[in-house]
This record gives sequence, C-alpha cells and structure tokens, in this order.
Amino acid sequence: MKANWQLFSSLSIFYVIMTVIYWYVGGEAVGITGMLLAACLAGMVGFYVWFTQKRIGKLMPADNLTAEISDGAGELGFYSPHSWWPLPVALAATAIGMGLIIGWWLTLIAITALFFGIIGWVTEYEKPLDDPTMTASH
Amino acid sequence: MTTYAERPTISPAPGSLQPGVAPASKGKNFVKWITSTDHKTIGYLYLFTSFAWFLIAGVLALILRVELTRPGMQFISNEQYNQVFTMHGTIMLLMFATPLFVGFANVIMPLQIGAADVAFPRLNMFSYWLYLFGGLMTFSGFLAPGGAASFGWTAYAPLSNSAYSPGIGGDLWVIGLAIGGLGTILGAVNFITTIFTMRAPGMTMFRMSIFSWNVLLTSILVLLAFPPLAAALLALESDRLYGSLIFDPANGGAMLWQHLFWFFGHPEVYILALPFFGIATEILPVFSRKPIFGYKGLIAATIAISALSVAVWAHHMFASGQVLLPFFSFMTFLIGVPTGVKFFNWIGTMWRGHVTFETPMLWVMGFLVTFLFGGITGIILASPPLNFSVSASYFVVAHFHYVLFGTVVFTMFAGIYFWWPKMTGKMLNERLGKIHFWTLFFGFHITFLIQHWLGIKGFPRRYADYLATDGFTGMNMISTVGSFLLALSMIPFAVNVWITRKSPMVGVDDPWGYGSSLEWATSCPPPRHNFLSIPRIRSERPAFDLHYPHIKTEGH
Repeated sequence: MKANWQLFSSLSIFYVIMTVIYWYVGGEAVGITGMLLAACLAGMVGFYVWFTQKRIGKLMPADNLTAEISDGAGELGFYSPHSWWPLPVALAATAIGMGLIIGWWLTLIAITALFFGIIGWVTEYEKPLDDPTMTASH
Repeated sequence: MTTYAERPTISPAPGSLQPGVAPASKGKNFVKWITSTDHKTIGYLYLFTSFAWFLIAGVLALILRVELTRPGMQFISNEQYNQVFTMHGTIMLLMFATPLFVGFANVIMPLQIGAADVAFPRLNMFSYWLYLFGGLMTFSGFLAPGGAASFGWTAYAPLSNSAYSPGIGGDLWVIGLAIGGLGTILGAVNFITTIFTMRAPGMTMFRMSIFSWNVLLTSILVLLAFPPLAAALLALESDRLYGSLIFDPANGGAMLWQHLFWFFGHPEVYILALPFFGIATEILPVFSRKPIFGYKGLIAATIAISALSVAVWAHHMFASGQVLLPFFSFMTFLIGVPTGVKFFNWIGTMWRGHVTFETPMLWVMGFLVTFLFGGITGIILASPPLNFSVSASYFVVAHFHYVLFGTVVFTMFAGIYFWWPKMTGKMLNERLGKIHFWTLFFGFHITFLIQHWLGIKGFPRRYADYLATDGFTGMNMISTVGSFLLALSMIPFAVNVWITRKSPMVGVDDPWGYGSSLEWATSCPPPRHNFLSIPRIRSERPAFDLHYPHIKTEGH
C-alpha cells in the first residue's frame, strides 16, 4: 500500500505547490480554490490509505513481491450474485432530477421511492441474527 | 515451475449469468442482464450502450456535414443546427467516450489484477443505470417543445441561461448530465477501491499492467474533475429555474462558468485519453513480441500527465483575454513532454521487435499516426499568438477531432478486436477487420485533415452556413464526402460481428499467442468469478511467464 498513499500524497503536495505558484503569479479565485480543493481531496485519500496501512500493520499479499497465490486463500468476501435494487434506486434518483424540471410533486414522490429503495438495498442481504446460515452482510 | 492454488470464492448462485451458455429463455436472460452484478456483464452493458450513443452522435454529425456541403440552408434551420452540434458534442464526450472507458475498465481491469469482481458490484450496476437514465434524459430534449439544448456542449453563460436559451430541452440537458456524472464518479470510486484492495497476491502496484495503472489515474482525474462539473451544472440549473444570479455576467458569472467548466473540461480530455493510451500499450507488446519498453517511465509519464492536467484548464480561454497567458501556455507546453515520453516508449516497444500487423495492431498504428497529428496542432494551439488567429475556427475542430477520435475511436476498435475473443470466445474476421480499418482511416483523414486549412482560411466553428464567395465550398464538399466514407466503415464491422457470431470458440486462454497480462491466463470467456486458477505473479507479464516459462521477464 506504500505506493498507493505516496501517489495520493504526492499529488496533494503537487497541487499545493501549483496553487501557491498560481496565486503568486496572479491567478484568479476559481483556479486557486479549485486546485486547493483538489489538494485537499488527494490529501484526504492519501491520509486515509496511509492510516489504514498503519492500522493493518502487516504486509498484504498483494504488496508482497514473493507472495504465492495461496497466501490469499480464505474467504474473499461476500459478492452479491445479482440484485434488483440498483435499478429502482437509480430510477428514483433520476426522477428526483426530473422533478426539479417538471414539478415538486414528482420530487416528493421520488424522494419517498428513493427512501424505500435505499432501505431495500441496504437490507437486501440482512438476515435475522439467529439465522445460522448468515455469514457476512454488507 | 508454476504453482496453482484454488481460489476460494462463493460459488455463483444457480442460474447466474454464464457467458457462452445458452439462456433458458429470452425473458429470463433479460432479467439476468438487468439484475446482474457481474463486472463483465456490466462492462458489456456499458460497451453496448456507449457504442449505440456513438452511432447516434455519428448520425448527428452526418446531418451537420450534409448541411455544410454547399452554401445555403438546405435541410435544417439554424436553431436545429445548433441543437444537433450541441448534442453531437455532448453525446460523443459524455455519453460515448467517458462511459466507454468505464466499460473497458469494468471488463478488463479486474481480470488484469486477478480480482474476482469489482469492490462494490451493486454500486457498479447503479452507476450504469445512472449513466443510462442521465443519457436518455439529456437526449430526450429532442422530444421537448422547443427542442434539445442548443448552447453548445460547453454551455457558456450567459447563453445557457433561461433568457437566451428558454425551454426545457436545456434543463433536461443540465440535469441529465448531472445524473450521468454522478454515475461516473461512483464508477471511479469503485475502480480505485478495487485496484487498492483486490489485487491478487504478488500483484504489486509496479507489476500491474499499464492499462490498470491508467484506469487508476483516470479514476483519480474523474474524482477531481466531475464534482466541479456537477457543482457548475446545479448552479446553472438554479439560475435557469429559480432565477439565482450565479452566472450573471453583471458580477463576473461568464468567466466563473468558463473557469468551472474548463476546470472540469481539461482533465476530462485526459480522462478520455489515458485509458485508451492504456489499451494501445497493452496491444503493442503482444504484436511486437517484446516487453513494454520503459514500463516505469510510462507510469511516471501517466502520473505526470494526471498531475499537470489539473493546471492547464484556462488554455481553452486564451481568447477571453482575462487569463494568465504565460502560466497556462507554459503548463500546456509542459504537459506535452510526458505525452512525448509515451510516444518514445511505444516506438521503443516496437523497435527491433517482430512486429506483425493483425487487426488490433493496425488500429494502434492508426491511433499513433492520427494522435500525433492532433498532438502537433495541440502544440501550435498552446502558443497564444498562434491560438488567437485560429481560435474558434475549424482548425480547432480539426485539432480536437484528431486528438479525441484518434485516441478514443481508433483504440476502441483496437480494444474490441483485441479482447473480442476474451469477451465472446470467438475471433473476429481479419480480412473484414482490415477493410474496416482502411475505410475508417481514409474516411477520417479525408473528413478532418482538410478542416485545418478551412480553419486557417477563416471558417468559424458552429456556423450553420457560409457564402459561396467565401471560398469554403470545395473544402467542405471534400470533408462531407470523407464523413460518408467514415460512416460506411461501420458496415464491414457490423458484417464482421454478424458472420462470426457462430464461429467456433477459440478454446485457448491466449488466442493471440503472446499475451502478457493476467486476463490471458483465464478461459475465453472467463468464468463467473474470473479465475479457476491464477499463475504465480513475478513480473508485469504473468500470463507470458506462464506460457513461456523458459523466457525470464525482468522482474520489477
């Protein structure tokens, strides 16, 4: 993960330098703000990845130059086999945008639909806690 | 010696989509596609949809060319002309080229890093639906009273406000793009997370294929560029609907829009270029029988391009007279350097290699030639004194078509011919592929090369008409003839896809024989979670090491 956080941190430092240069040579406000926000975004991701690497504290198989494929054995995680939920959530999100143009009544309906869509999405793989078949949930 | 290890995954649900297996029924197959969370299926959806938009926007371009063939308005009105060029640009950039990157990245990138899927499979499908619905919403402006958006794909304020561009066509354009842009941002988050957390053991960052690297850097650029666009679009919509004065020229709104738009717009150019550079870089070593020349140099060049691309936006605004010419001119010349480094590496890869000209390689050659022309005119345009004299003329139109068509369309077809066996298990016909290439190559160059001179003679872009005494007629006619040849080149491709639909499966992992990256170490098409076994990864060419264990790739 070292290359990952270094990539983002370097981008962040570069954007800070560019902001200072641009400000110094007389740049306008939009560019200064934009590049500074770009630096913040890259810095935030870089910090999070660095922090996560510290927290894990060990070399991941994907970063080990001499790893064997079997080093990654074990449960990879839960993958949704198929799902209906992205469709209604996206439809509701589109309808909210459409509602801005057509009228508030559509926005209100769409926000309600989005609410139920998100509940459906989030709870799709939730099962009662006493269910022994439940192994993972996202 | 290669060791194999079982990759433990949760077995696919019964009845989940298996490419190549005949579906039970059309209805069930349809449900499988629209509820899929398989990155390959979602990638195919992206590729189909963006190709459909490519054809639609291509037809719009033909309408423009037909209207421009002779002086006088023959077919459509001025307002319709404005709508057609606005939608042509919008669709080509935001509904064809950008999602095409997402499509290729979805299908290929998880295979190249040895992952079972992307990090957030349902979010992936959600991104696709947002893209589809946002795109349809933008396009539905043609059905609206008053027609589609007609303020150009750049939507400069104050032209794009409700006083100068009334009608809901413009509103649909703004909101549709905001929704599609949200999908693109979520897709980028998904790719970055996948590359950071789901690489196979041994697949270190500096063993990743160049295409995957470019997907990572493109995704970073998406994160930097699309939020400013979304902010600008929503502010514009607030101006249009609720009468706010954010982009009111009285308080500097015209320049504010241009800065915000191009702060998105210039990284967007590299969002369109980098992944397609990646495709070219995947194909060149395979048909040169050599490893990539300067692997780390290429990655460094791509990082440099990504970093610099955020600091060059105002070179689109030289003619406004209100930007720092020396700063942006210098930065623009500077970003040409890493792009030149890439050319050096691509040529170095072919140098003294055993180059063969299968169809994918031919398309990459076409890309190198065409993009080089666009790069040279880009250097011309980076110089303010030269820029002023050709700004907003057909010279600029020719320049960005050489850059974007050269990169996106040529390497799109390169990628399609190259990965078609990986995606479908069948080879496309070589002879038809070559006919396709040459008709498209000549069609493109006849259409756009002449437009450089048209622009130098003074024909401005976005004009629906000109006078016979202007002396533009002959060159416009040549350009229109070329555009129809270009359109006809889609016929051999369609025939090719049709006649090979029932050809025998290739039956091997690597039908091209010298594939380098990991997607060539799994079956064609790959199983649901991509790999039944992954070879040991010791270099950036794991599939090549697997198939040619006696040739040692220099490890990184």
